[in-house]
Amino acid sequence: MKYLMLIYGNQEKWASIPAEEWPEAIAKQDAFNRKYQATGELIGAYGLADAAQARLVRRENGLPAVTDGPYLETKEYIASFYLLDCESEERALQIAADMPWADQEPVEFWPVMHEAKPDL
Amino acid sequence: MTAAPVTGDRGNNADDGGIADPGRVEDLLRELAPQVLAALVRRYGQFHLCEDASQEALIAAARQWPADGLPENPRGWLIAVASRRLMDQVRSEQSRRNREDLIAVATPASELLGPPADAEPTDGDDSLALLFGCCRPELSSPSQVALTLRAIGGLSTAQIAAAFGVPEATMAQRISRAKQTIRAAGLDFSMPAGAERADRLCAVLHVLYLVFNEGYTATDGDELTVPALSREAIRLTRWLHRLLPHDAEVTGLLALMLLTDARRAARTQSDGSLVPLAEQDRRKWDRTQIAEGTALVAAALPAGEPGPYQLQAAIAAVHDEAPTMADTDWPQILALYSLLEHLAPNPFTTLARAVALAMVHGPAAGLDALAALAADKRMARHHRLLATRAHLRELAGDPDAAGADYLQAARRATSVPERRYLALQATRLGR
Repeated sequence: MKYLMLIYGNQEKWASIPAEEWPEAIAKQDAFNRKYQATGELIGAYGLADAAQARLVRRENGLPAVTDGPYLETKEYIASFYLLDCESEERALQIAADMPWADQEPVEFWPVMHEAKPDL
Repeated sequence: MTAAPVTGDRGNNADDGGIADPGRVEDLLRELAPQVLAALVRRYGQFHLCEDASQEALIAAARQWPADGLPENPRGWLIAVASRRLMDQVRSEQSRRNREDLIAVATPASELLGPPADAEPTDGDDSLALLFGCCRPELSSPSQVALTLRAIGGLSTAQIAAAFGVPEATMAQRISRAKQTIRAAGLDFSMPAGAERADRLCAVLHVLYLVFNEGYTATDGDELTVPALSREAIRLTRWLHRLLPHDAEVTGLLALMLLTDARRAARTQSDGSLVPLAEQDRRKWDRTQIAEGTALVAAALPAGEPGPYQLQAAIAAVHDEAPTMADTDWPQILALYSLLEHLAPNPFTTLARAVALAMVHGPAAGLDALAALAADKRMARHHRLLATRAHLRELAGDPDAAGADYLQAARRATSVPERRYLALQATRLGR
């Protein structure tokens, strides 16, 4: 079963972290990624670009309309996402709780829908 | 084991025809894979190195045989090539120089060539020990599954990854992790004895059943790239049944798989949507598989106290023999579920028994059984419980409550076809 983990943030929050603390924070996150890639459970960890790069895409009168995003009312936006493949939800939740910053910021956790057909 | 390697589901034979089409080569290689690996492990130990070498030999054969035709003795060819690869590997690692000498000294040259084609293969027991080794309790369940499919099923890492819908790199990590565990713990591949053997057989059957259930995934692509896991599970269980013909639970599991898989064609519509048992077109059920499964379970049941797989197979057989849902022998099914619940308590068995209770004694009796189950906090929110309760509430003449349950069940389901089905039921009842 696959699970998606999302972490949120914004520039203001990240700017408040002293520069000298970043190397350790990054090292911790790298160690986390290596640990769960080694068990085969972390399929991928992806950091997203700054919000300045995000776009909103609509189709208006059949033509693509691209504007700067994300949604203006969003105070925090997605910073990174992690795709897990775990034996059970308990295990996936355990990994989520092991995220280096989980003691400061919550990790959003979503089961990913799958195509398995149960026997009815 | 004295019988010659028996053909797989689709039948294959090394020496007929002369033209080696890729599908037949694939079948033959998968049949030989565990024998080759078992022979290597027996001779050299060191599972992790043998496994790599044996995979390389299989890959080489898959490339060469379709073009050049089958060698006279395919099994001997594979063992010789794999042994050579193993030597190369050992040689290339400086730190293993001493071990290389040991292997070379310990191996008579004739051993490397494999037995002549007309010799009786003696690898049945070795392959069995290999299968038991892949299901050691030191390995996690996904690792056991992956290793079994590779070492015994002869599937490539890419094929296993495709079947489970994960990137090849993820599956490769999982397999190499499992091999490291085996290596680090110094685990050997001798057959466990006594109570340990019985426990391990349980683990083996569980792994095969997991593979079978995983086979319901919709990714039924080209079989050479995305193998049909249900068929693979049946092939491996059939093979295990040949090696252990008197084990009633092995027979029970094979019967259960055949009797369940027999309904495959009726279980989904052409658009992939689900058809529940009650609405399936029973003419689409595979009568040959039902006959085989029923005969197996009938042979296994009198052997003593039936185990969980035999009981589940017996239940599937009762369903498969009924011409319509209404003609089903529900009292028989209720009795079997009661036995199963007693033998191997499990909330999903209780759930199924509640349905049987409702069919025999009316929906109120079924709903009472569900109420007891809902006291279990984890089950109370489970979509299967909600879906079952919805069904029974509808039977009891309460479509409003049934619709609400279907809606909740749909929200909690994580399988796409199942969610679609449940949402459709909720809509039908006005939600």
